[in-house]
Amino acid sequence: MGTPVNDMNRTRIAVQKGGRLTEPTLDFLYSQGLRFEPNGRNLITPCDNCPIDILHLRDDDIPEYVCRSVVDFGVVGENVLYEKNAHVKVLRRLGFCHCSLVIAVPETSPIKGLEDLEGERIATSHPRLLARFLREEEVNAAIITIKGAVEVTPQLNLADAVCDITQTGRTLKEHSLVPLFTVFESQAALIESPFPKQDRFDFLSL
Amino acid sequence: MIKPKILKGTRDFLPKDMAKRRLVMEKIESVFINFGYSAIETPAMEYAETFLGKYGDEGSRLTYTFKDKGGREVALRFDQTVPFARFVAAYHKNLPMPFKRYQISPVWRADKPGKGRFREFYQCDIDVIGTKSILAEGEIAKVMSCVFECIGFHKFVIKYNSRRLINSILTDLSVPTERQVETIRIIDKLGRIGREGVAEELSTVLPERTVPRLLSIITHPGTSEERIRFLEPYDTKEIEAFLVICDAFGVPQQSLQFDPSLARGLDYYTGIVFEVFLPNLDIGAVCAGGRYDGLCSMFSKRRFSGVGVAFGFDRIMLAMEELNMFRDVKLNTRVLVTYFDEATIKNSLRILSDLQTAGINAEIYFESDKLGKQLKYADKKEIPFVVICGPDELERGEATIKVMKTGKQKRIPQSQLTAYLHGYTGE
Repeated sequence: MGTPVNDMNRTRIAVQKGGRLTEPTLDFLYSQGLRFEPNGRNLITPCDNCPIDILHLRDDDIPEYVCRSVVDFGVVGENVLYEKNAHVKVLRRLGFCHCSLVIAVPETSPIKGLEDLEGERIATSHPRLLARFLREEEVNAAIITIKGAVEVTPQLNLADAVCDITQTGRTLKEHSLVPLFTVFESQAALIESPFPKQDRFDFLSL
Repeated sequence: MIKPKILKGTRDFLPKDMAKRRLVMEKIESVFINFGYSAIETPAMEYAETFLGKYGDEGSRLTYTFKDKGGREVALRFDQTVPFARFVAAYHKNLPMPFKRYQISPVWRADKPGKGRFREFYQCDIDVIGTKSILAEGEIAKVMSCVFECIGFHKFVIKYNSRRLINSILTDLSVPTERQVETIRIIDKLGRIGREGVAEELSTVLPERTVPRLLSIITHPGTSEERIRFLEPYDTKEIEAFLVICDAFGVPQQSLQFDPSLARGLDYYTGIVFEVFLPNLDIGAVCAGGRYDGLCSMFSKRRFSGVGVAFGFDRIMLAMEELNMFRDVKLNTRVLVTYFDEATIKNSLRILSDLQTAGINAEIYFESDKLGKQLKYADKKEIPFVVICGPDELERGEATIKVMKTGKQKRIPQSQLTAYLHGYTGE
């Protein structure tokens, strides 16, 4: 096993550290022929069979790292990617970690159609995607931006609706929320720096 | 009683006009600042001798002059270039050189008022002085393109030419040096009086056989590259260097257009000259300028080379009006807080203060009039939101927010008003 080194010549791939995407992403990299130890406590894991380092990062930092060419490749959810509006190259959609960004309202809410959202408060951690959706649908509403636990905001009277990521719909159901509209369909994507290094290691052809 | 009238060629600007003017002016200024230009201002009136004789006979005739209370001959600012020359001559020892300045201020000309022509109007100038580097021309071209992009024009043409090139063509055609300035002044009218008109005027200063040769050279058809190649026997070095540097600056190629007939009537240009046009609009150049060498020579022994352009602010405004580019201009106030009654006014003023502290432009209605009247005021002033807080809302710590466009009302906790307004989309 090699040791992680601060070597600019090594190709770097960023993956989510301890999250929904982590396991399927590592499986994807293994399936491409990369051999490396599962992430221990190191943020950087070198590959045994090629000059590649795996970087374990917070997922919403990955587009930024790739965009700035600090890392060469990244695997990230499209929801995060497009929310960050990072200027990166999308190499391919990876077909795993499917999820939807949906607008949901409490079961008892009078909001039934899009037009009912006019002027209402919508809590989300995806303000950019939500704003784009509202603009396209020509609805004006107040976007309340929060980092997490979006689903509790209606019962706290912080919002009238939520715009949140859902996979199975379980969390929404547990909070008596009914999904009404899909804002964005997401899956994992492989992204590349907009300024690729000439000699980066093309692991996709392993 | 005096009739409330104003002088011909001057204008009052109502709030809606000013909102548009401020918006455009702030955008132009933000680009200048973004490129490292510093603001300066010179007096509206100066000694008449500072201005007179600097703009040719026509310019002197159009300069407003009068005697002040102390009997001094005084003139109103005619442009921002000559005052800048005086400014540089006076302060160059203390200024960082090269010096990059912008100035946005009104100028006065005793011209006949017409469409887009006023006696009091604004100019927006930028100049780089104290360097001969072609980077200065490149940067000015980039600033011009950024300004027009920033205020919303996707199509504009920066026409450019080189005084050195024109001079070399004229010399090659055996036009004597003392006739060259006059010839250039006539060529400059090509856009206004057409080829025939120019030919006629030229024939008064040039030999008959020279006129068609000169005109066919400077109006040679083709793309910018083809024209430059055609003119290679003459001095095209400057043009080529300019193009290389524009490319490096990232000035969009499609907005640059080489025009060997572009002359810029003013005598003091010595190098690259520019004029910017908006396609399909018959309002003339919206920005113009170029490289000069001896600008300060009337005020100082030192010579300063510089590049500068002036944006015709009022023409730009006219173009934007004609192209309907002001659809969503907002007046200042975003929120009107209503005056419900004596018992609740203290709370309403606290809401007002909270909004203002959060950076939201808000105002209070001054009388406890009927709600309908207060809403009418909001409507007339185009205020998009009204916050109402009567005793009922106050008791629950809530407020009603009314979105004027849809008429929809919503009650939310008072503490959430700023978050609501900050998060509101669509404006």
